[in-house]
Amino acid sequence: MASLPKRIIKETERLASDPVPGISAEPHEDNLRYFAVTIEGPEESPYENGVFELELYLPDDYPMEAPKVRFLTRIYHPNIDRLGRICLDVLKNNWSPALQIRTVLLSIQALLASPNPNDPLANDVAEEWIKNEELAISKAKEWTKLYAGKR
Amino acid sequence: MSTYEEEHGLSRENSEDARSASVDRRETRSQFQELFQTFGNNNSEEDVDNSMLLLLLSQMIPASLQQEWMEQMEQSDKKGCSESFIDSLPRIPASKIKEDDSCPICCCTYKEDDHPLVAELPHCNHKFDLECISVWLSKSTSCPLCRDDVMSHKPGIDTSQVELEEDWGMFG
Repeated sequence: MASLPKRIIKETERLASDPVPGISAEPHEDNLRYFAVTIEGPEESPYENGVFELELYLPDDYPMEAPKVRFLTRIYHPNIDRLGRICLDVLKNNWSPALQIRTVLLSIQALLASPNPNDPLANDVAEEWIKNEELAISKAKEWTKLYAGKR
Repeated sequence: MSTYEEEHGLSRENSEDARSASVDRRETRSQFQELFQTFGNNNSEEDVDNSMLLLLLSQMIPASLQQEWMEQMEQSDKKGCSESFIDSLPRIPASKIKEDDSCPICCCTYKEDDHPLVAELPHCNHKFDLECISVWLSKSTSCPLCRDDVMSHKPGIDTSQVELEEDWGMFG
């Protein structure tokens, strides 16, 4: 395997020594570009008390290219589809090489705190969200209990 | 009476070329027909090798045109700044770089390098390793830190120069 860029080593070290509250990211033993991530559901959101597992991969072109991030835990959210793919601008067109793993994960945490059904990825979820927000939120809470229970 | 070739400024050689080209074309056409028949009959077989067909098709398209298409495809992929723009970015002299200043892209302090090449973006004045920002600007036109579109600021017109020229005109 090609040597790991210094930036990735620095980011990994800082994630361990100075972790973001509610977020953990650990590199895989065999592949230091592959991270196992957990994000705690933000307080006062439908995802409160849930712990969501994600996978994050740094492509060869990182940081010129955005990290690839995906939810592994099922989640009922208008911007996350059933395969765990996330609709988030900084992961696509709005990526900048000055962003980091921690800023990306913070953005995802913020997305959990404020779902945006007007810019959907999971179309059916977004539709339900717009039609009946109360019902959608209760469903999101239900799924959080079902799939994102603390271990 | 002048011949067709003379009237149209063509030499005999050219018409010779044209004739051989038409022979070429006829050959290609018969080759194509042959292939078409072969593949037309074997329609049911799924593992038909289409490489011959593709090869023939590529022969029918002039190499110059193929080259042009390839270049166009490369051009449309590029969304970044021109190389000359990147080369023209102002450099920061080593004396003005602080000990703990670091590049936001590679996260390394500039002084780690004995001869750091640091570039500054116009307008927003954000600084990066020249090497790092060059790669980014080859595929984007935005500043990594503030998303300022680096290409949107046209250089100001130097009016002092214009006045000077007018003055000279009066004396001339």
